[in-house]
Amino acid sequence: MEIMYVMIGLSLLMAIGFLVAFIWSIRSGQQDDLITPSMRILLEEKEYKNNK
Amino acid sequence: MVELENPLVETQTTCFHCGEICQDDIKHFDNKNFCCHGCEQVYQLLTDNALGEYYTCDINPGKSPSTQNFDFLNHSHFRDQLISFSNKGISKVHFHLPAIHCRSCLYLLENLCRIEPAVVKSNLNFGKKELTIWFNEEKIDLGSLASLLARLGYEPLIDSGEGQTQQKQRTSQQNQLFLKLGIAGFCAGNAMLFSFPEYLGIEAGSLKNLFGYINIVLGTVAVFYSGSEYFSNVWSHLKLKKLTIELPILLGILVGYLRSVYEVFSHTGAGYIDSVSGLLFFLLIGKWFQQKSFDFLSFERNYKAYFPLVISKLIQGKEQTCPLQEIEVGDHLIIRNQEIIPADALLIHGRSQMDYSFVTGESEYISLEPGNSMYAGGRHHGELIEIEIKKALNQSHLTQLWEQQAFKDPNHKTENWENFANKVGMYFTVILLSLAAVVGIYWFQHDPNKWQNAVVSVLVIACPCALAISYPFALGHGIRWMAKFNFFIKDIQAFERMSQVDTIVFDKTGTLTLHQDEKPIFHLIRDLSEWEYDTLFSMVNQSTHPLSRQLTKYLRSENLGKSISLDSIQEIPGKGIEGYREGMMFQIGHARFTGHSLIKEQDFIRSESQLFIRIGGERVGYIEFPWENRQGIEYMIHALQANYDVYLLSGDKQSHAGTLLDWFPDSSHYQFECSPMDKMAFIQYLQSQGKQVAMVGDGLNDAGALKQAHVGIAISEDHLHFTPSSDAILQGKQVVHLPIFFKFAKFGLQLIKASFLLSLVYNLFGLSYAVQGTLSPLIAAILMPVNSLSMLLIANIGMNLKGGSLKSYLENIKR
Repeated sequence: MEIMYVMIGLSLLMAIGFLVAFIWSIRSGQQDDLITPSMRILLEEKEYKNNK
Repeated sequence: MVELENPLVETQTTCFHCGEICQDDIKHFDNKNFCCHGCEQVYQLLTDNALGEYYTCDINPGKSPSTQNFDFLNHSHFRDQLISFSNKGISKVHFHLPAIHCRSCLYLLENLCRIEPAVVKSNLNFGKKELTIWFNEEKIDLGSLASLLARLGYEPLIDSGEGQTQQKQRTSQQNQLFLKLGIAGFCAGNAMLFSFPEYLGIEAGSLKNLFGYINIVLGTVAVFYSGSEYFSNVWSHLKLKKLTIELPILLGILVGYLRSVYEVFSHTGAGYIDSVSGLLFFLLIGKWFQQKSFDFLSFERNYKAYFPLVISKLIQGKEQTCPLQEIEVGDHLIIRNQEIIPADALLIHGRSQMDYSFVTGESEYISLEPGNSMYAGGRHHGELIEIEIKKALNQSHLTQLWEQQAFKDPNHKTENWENFANKVGMYFTVILLSLAAVVGIYWFQHDPNKWQNAVVSVLVIACPCALAISYPFALGHGIRWMAKFNFFIKDIQAFERMSQVDTIVFDKTGTLTLHQDEKPIFHLIRDLSEWEYDTLFSMVNQSTHPLSRQLTKYLRSENLGKSISLDSIQEIPGKGIEGYREGMMFQIGHARFTGHSLIKEQDFIRSESQLFIRIGGERVGYIEFPWENRQGIEYMIHALQANYDVYLLSGDKQSHAGTLLDWFPDSSHYQFECSPMDKMAFIQYLQSQGKQVAMVGDGLNDAGALKQAHVGIAISEDHLHFTPSSDAILQGKQVVHLPIFFKFAKFGLQLIKASFLLSLVYNLFGLSYAVQGTLSPLIAAILMPVNSLSMLLIANIGMNLKGGSLKSYLENIKR
């Protein structure tokens, strides 16, 4: 049964890791604009590089 | 059936840049057609900078460029407001660009640095239509940067500053809520995990205590961080001696939490932490869902947004531009054609045709001579004029309206209004507390060991969380669906108020009728010769009377008549125009002027929108300009009259109403020549009779009424236009669908009431255990999420089904 203590600790640690990631994503403004990045990815920049 | 193709369509050339139909004077460049020099220039500019891909992202993506001068932005007043950050010559600026509409826009605007080397980086937020630019201020000033954007077809909309801080506030609030939601979800999920042994009845031994302690930590975070808003809301309502739906919710949460703490620390049970934090999670999802905001719209505009940002001041005979805020009484200003008078003033030089239609609703222009006074908000037509300011900005005739109580009190609309949830919440709280008391007293006398347990279970299980969940979801879906039909509602409270409306008041000009240039109807006894048309055209061409302007435009479009010189010409105000050509007298104007006889009373009323013509001694007839009502308006008004009391308020003269009046039962249902104050007072009068009033209007003259009404709906032809502050913004074309929209709001509330009844059934089931003191945490853990989830499902499915059927219905009408 002792293994349970380790596993609970680990599972909590992982969950907290995700929570921290979530808080960071909000703090750094990643949730502010959910539309533009999805459009930006479809634009190609080849032409510009060729001209350079 | 095969539809005949319109032969006109094939011969029309569309502009390669903006996609509009090229009228005349088509420009050719690079084997492509352009409608104007501006579009051609943009194309050249883009291809020169290897940004030709702009045209491959979307078909005809461009917008016709504007040539507006933005040099005024270099004034420190605007510079400080717009530039959010400046360091080592690099400045950061936000521009609101309403013209943004497609992927091409994104491509062009984010590659701005290739057109203008002084731009370091540009970043677009598509949803907010906001462009952030980092640029080198030593190489390019703010004004030139804005002018560049305007030249590309993206004219920045410069706000008066209040809007920006509001938006920032909203974003930070949204992030707060997001954070609370995430943390509540985390706590709920983990609390359920650690309650698992309890659910399954596994003997966990010493682990059980550890799980309990972890749960308490999670629960504490969930209740006191994620649920913190409930504490502050309930507290502020209690101070006002009001019972809201949030009180029993908070009570349930708090009692459940405290009971759990007690059970865990006394090793007597596992508590309800999982149910409590799960409930909070659901509640916060609801809160998040109801916060649909339309970032590109502004519901809170006041008169300042309508006025120009800069004015031309005369200082020692020299013209100087300065921000609007800096004008003072006694200043001399230069006003050009089509500009707006910023404050009550006196005309010093020049003549003016003043258009007050947006301010008063009156459709006819007023002629002004030097020495006449003019009121703020009027639009000047004619030559360049000089005016002297007579009253300070916020004391003018127009802005007085904003000094009214309704404008000063931000909670004006919600003060005397109880929403369904709070009305029910009041009874609910009273019943719940008395039930808990009765149960407590009963068990205290019969079995003192059970009384605590029973009271706690009653409070926890009966918490009206269902109402708090179905509410935001049903109404949130409601405003999302409405937005799909170009009806943008400010918040869910406004949508709920819509469902309670029993009286609807309409404005006339701009709401029911259109300013569009309609086709006039000719009632002539004979055809006119070319010679006669030329003469008439030359006469009306130089008049600024609205009917003359309409006739000029029509004659020009039909190629009837051209400008020639006449022997003499004279405009007699209020009567008409008289001209002589080769000795022949021409008269055009009012019937009394030309000597036409009007027989019926109806003729007199209609004659205001008719131009009578007399050539020599012959009265050849008249040309009628029908006031065009919006399509389908008649049907709409009749449809509304079946369920609502419908009124018409207009700042215009009754004679301009045309056929509109026939649709209203009697003269108590319409009122003409109303001032903005009159309109507001009329709404107040209806409200004093206990009516729930919706006001539908478009101009500044409706601003007071829109604010006063329970629901103020502003009409806008496209959502970039100025609209006075309101609860909802409706696209002009959709006005005819108002009956359907009101019905949809009603449906939403019915759905909420039905789901409330269902949740009562759940509650009674849970209570039957709770009052006996035998509610186990397991039943609570199942019952509460099931209750919440079913509320969520009903609201989602119900509203989406109804919205979907509405959509297909509206699409059918279009065909």
